[in-house]
Amino acid sequence: MASNPMQQFTVQRIGPEIKIANIDLSFTNSSLFMVISAVVIILFLFLGSKEKKIIPNKLQLIAELSYTFVAKMISDTAGSKAKPYFPFIFSLFMFVLFCNMVGMLPYSFTVTSHIIVTLIMALFIFIAVTIIGFIKHGFKYFSIFVPSGVPAVLLPLITVIEIISYLSRPVSLSVRLFANMMAGHTMLKVFGGFVVSLGILGGWLPLSFSVALTGLEILVAFLQAYVFAILTCIYLNDALNLHH
Amino acid sequence: MKCFLSLLIALLAISANLCAAETGMPQLDPKYWASQAFWLILVFTILYISISKFYLPKIKDNLDNRENKIKEDLENASKFKEQAEAKVKEYEIILEKARKDVSKIHFDSKNILDKDIQSKKETIEKEIEKEILKAQKEISELKKNSISSIQIISGSIVSNIIENISGEKLNESSIKATVEDVSKKNISKYL
Repeated sequence: MASNPMQQFTVQRIGPEIKIANIDLSFTNSSLFMVISAVVIILFLFLGSKEKKIIPNKLQLIAELSYTFVAKMISDTAGSKAKPYFPFIFSLFMFVLFCNMVGMLPYSFTVTSHIIVTLIMALFIFIAVTIIGFIKHGFKYFSIFVPSGVPAVLLPLITVIEIISYLSRPVSLSVRLFANMMAGHTMLKVFGGFVVSLGILGGWLPLSFSVALTGLEILVAFLQAYVFAILTCIYLNDALNLHH
Repeated sequence: MKCFLSLLIALLAISANLCAAETGMPQLDPKYWASQAFWLILVFTILYISISKFYLPKIKDNLDNRENKIKEDLENASKFKEQAEAKVKEYEIILEKARKDVSKIHFDSKNILDKDIQSKKETIEKEIEKEILKAQKEISELKKNSISSIQIISGSIVSNIIENISGEKLNESSIKATVEDVSKKNISKYL
């Protein structure tokens, strides 16, 4: 079973079984790595903001860089109106990034490689953005489905397409992250399996592939966190600044 | 987008086949979905609250502090620069004034000295002229005196010579008249 590349994604219960109203809410390895990621984030931010120096040390610099990175991302895509949502997007970005990065460690578990996790995040964003849109603009928010400057003949078709694309947002957002993480980790596992099966003579080629893929996966881990956050910003922008 | 949709369809198709066999993708096994959702929401909520309440304000404070400090320092620097420039201007004005004063003093003292030299020169020239006149007078007096004494001497010499040659004494007044006559004739040769 160890050679099965999907083995790494199995969720196992750790500790006692917790059941509330007949629903299994046991603490699993997935939960463990969520907690580890959150603890690492909090530790990083704690150490990064502990000393208030004018000239920052390394950790403080990284914390401030991540702050300005996300702040710039939000102000560039969603403008100044999105400022109240900055903590949420920052938390989201850091959580996804650290889950991806912790998942890159050998023998660890990648939380974001599970569709249910990414889907819940994406659905939450989708519903929240829709609610924000309706609160800010009322029924005028429906005009998001009717782009301006479209010929009247095409308007019904375009509107249908817009509605479908709007509704497919949570699916695309969640599947993008989940599929990227799963595919990368599966590929790493497959090449790792090749190294073992080809032995000391032939295993060097897949090993070098593995090394290269690890670098690529670290890039993807960062990139997907960035894409997840920036798409959230774009959706938020649609809800806050209603124009096309 | 197309790629992801096709991937999703493929995944769904695979999962439909594999889920029943309980192999394949553990992601599509709904056994722990509720648990993952519960723990995700719990962990993320805690993370969100701690980040938004504690860490982001701290980092923001720190960034603002630094920005303010830099702004303040820059302002101070520009203020000092302005002050320095004003001082430089002041110095330049003072320097210019001093230069003017120096040239004025130089000019004035030169004038005074020139005048002084001129007046002294004039007085000295006058004195010299006076002295010259005095000397000339003396010389002319001396000349007159010398003429009369020469006449007397030459008169006595003449009377002596005549007395020695002829042994007779001549009338003094006639000798005197003769000497005077001769000297008047010849005096222009010597004077």
